[in-house]
Amino acid sequence: MEERSRIVLLAAAVRVAVAPFFMHAGDVGTIYESSVMALKGLNIYDFVSAKTLQMQNATGLPVFFEGYAYHPLLIYFFTPFYWVFTLIAGQGPVMIDGHYPALPVLIYPWTPLLLLMLKVPIILADVLVVYVLAGMDARKAKIYAFCPYVIFVGVVWGMFDALVGLFLLASYLTSSRSKFLSGLFYGLSLMKLYTAVLLPLYAVRLYGRWKELAQFLGGLAITLLPVAYYLVVSPKSIWNVLVTFQGGRLMGGVNLYNFIWIVQDLIFDLVVSMVPTILLIVALYYLITRFARKAPLLESILAIMFAYFLFGKVINEQFLISIFPLILLSRECDHRIWVAPFVFIFLRSPFYYFMLPMLWTSPVFYGYYLQADEVWRQLQAAGYLQIPMYAVGIAFSLLIFWNLLQLVDATRGGIASIPGVTEPTGYRVYDRVLKRARGVWENSISNRP
Amino acid sequence: MSVQERRVGLKLKTKLTIYFAVYIIALSFVPLIHDSLLAQSRWLGYGTGAYQYQNQNYFILFNDPYDGSSKPHIHVNPTFAPASRISLIEFSDWTSWVNDHNLFNGFNVTMRADPSILDVAYSRPEIVIHKYIEVSSDAVKVIMQSEKEFGAHLELWRWVMTSINGIPISDVAKPLVIAPTTLIEFTFQDDRLQALGHGRIVMSAMPSQIQMWPHEKGFNKITVDFVNSMMSFTVSGSMEAVGTPSVPWSYALLPYVMPIVAITVVALYLLVDRYGRALKNRATRRSS
Repeated sequence: MEERSRIVLLAAAVRVAVAPFFMHAGDVGTIYESSVMALKGLNIYDFVSAKTLQMQNATGLPVFFEGYAYHPLLIYFFTPFYWVFTLIAGQGPVMIDGHYPALPVLIYPWTPLLLLMLKVPIILADVLVVYVLAGMDARKAKIYAFCPYVIFVGVVWGMFDALVGLFLLASYLTSSRSKFLSGLFYGLSLMKLYTAVLLPLYAVRLYGRWKELAQFLGGLAITLLPVAYYLVVSPKSIWNVLVTFQGGRLMGGVNLYNFIWIVQDLIFDLVVSMVPTILLIVALYYLITRFARKAPLLESILAIMFAYFLFGKVINEQFLISIFPLILLSRECDHRIWVAPFVFIFLRSPFYYFMLPMLWTSPVFYGYYLQADEVWRQLQAAGYLQIPMYAVGIAFSLLIFWNLLQLVDATRGGIASIPGVTEPTGYRVYDRVLKRARGVWENSISNRP
Repeated sequence: MSVQERRVGLKLKTKLTIYFAVYIIALSFVPLIHDSLLAQSRWLGYGTGAYQYQNQNYFILFNDPYDGSSKPHIHVNPTFAPASRISLIEFSDWTSWVNDHNLFNGFNVTMRADPSILDVAYSRPEIVIHKYIEVSSDAVKVIMQSEKEFGAHLELWRWVMTSINGIPISDVAKPLVIAPTTLIEFTFQDDRLQALGHGRIVMSAMPSQIQMWPHEKGFNKITVDFVNSMMSFTVSGSMEAVGTPSVPWSYALLPYVMPIVAITVVALYLLVDRYGRALKNRATRRSS
């Protein structure tokens, strides 16, 4: 068997073996709940928006229900697999509640099968990324395929940033051949919205090449049709969920802003949360005007996303997956930055929280869960976990900053001066030039007396 | 890249690094600034619907996700350890009842706050009861009020009280009804602070029954039953040190710790970055 197939099959096997037994109850619960609603033809945004209004009325605070707050397309990646599940297991409930701070009720024996089915799109996305990377560099494919962070986020947690990563990678790789496909894939990568920061980059790069810009926007427009549909059908709900919620979120996550979690004053926190947004706009403007047209697309995308990771107010543990394949392709970036968000996962959520599908199979295990959770809650209430979380958040921001400087430095240092390097094919040319130069240099060293 | 370009690049890198380091450290002071200037003596909403109030003497939590359904949970700040928050008493909705309906599960609850009063409305089709929580420098007043008369069974918890109205735990083996009164005084100990605490609850009207409940090492709850359209509980407390306390760590100290964490991590980064650059320069020099 050729190496590429071996890596791909092994990557798939690892994921399939792990997927049925773990989950993040809140996030998998949201996908499950939304798949059920989508299959019944119900409006997900109306549901989430109504819950938010209910919470705001009860608390008198600008709080939001943390449900499905993604691009409408996303749920259609999961619903077909949920539909297959219902053909086997029927329509009965399998996961009841689970939104923070409640714990879910899980129905057996169907829970493992449901988890596997809901994670199939994530596994497929991971496997496709591995397949594509293996076509270019087997070592990089292996890093992605067996990186504990990637495996954990995808099949243990059940988070779907691998889909964003796949589509962003596809958008980059197709950009030299078909602007339409690049736009289409970029549009699909918007299913988690944060890649929206890349739109000005694409627009600026294609500015003046009107035909190509039109092709790119045509591809993008197709992916926006479901958004347009919901804007017509329930404008208030989708606006509330996608714009007001996402725009009005508190800063925090694996970044230097998670100190805000100890400032228990929502109104103040929301005001302070605007500070990084202002800096993000400045950083994006600077990067796009100085680098966007000159630097290779790969480096430009990464620089913009790194700026977002530095100044975007919410950077969750799983976001790095979206650019991880691109980081692997870049010579300038250190892919080991995944360690920081990986560590952060276990500071924010206890490891046993991901084991609920196994722990809920027996009252004895459930008892252990409650005992462990008592200790965890005490640690949390005393503030002991906030300190390492803040330290890791700052460390991750600094690592991102270092990688951004490396990119900017390398880009200023000559990549742009080599003709034809602004696209992926150009990057390969640059790569060959570099290799040749290195060969010449190594020869000159070995020929020294 | 020419030497000139490299120098400019290095300067830019250094400048950006300094800006970013200052940015991180400056932001780390936000919790401290908020805590010292903005967080005192007003109700603050946070999380997914919780409130807190802090003044020099008391710290009150309402509906905190880690604190549960204790509405409100009143803490006292000892004068000798102001950052410590010692539980004084919690009014538990989870185990309290009004007109035979559980306060936590049987009512629709809405909360509204102005800087000095938290107004919590418990509504059912037949009745609306307001719970007002008003904090002053020397007491916390919890008022239950409705336009109609209602019968209530309230449970006030603390783990644990060593005596209630002068009756020590050693004298009580099972739940005990105490003589009708509008004043409840209790004592408690805090081992970590090596301190003795005093609590006092003054009620605006005579309740129909007050009962105290023994647990292993002390009383863990007081139940109050009354029928009225209004009842207020004025809670106050204090602590006195009787020994040498161990170093008291509290969540309230976190705002002071954050800048230390930020400065340490940034300093480490700068050291490693500098070391890396020195190594790179040495390697470049050697190869040229």
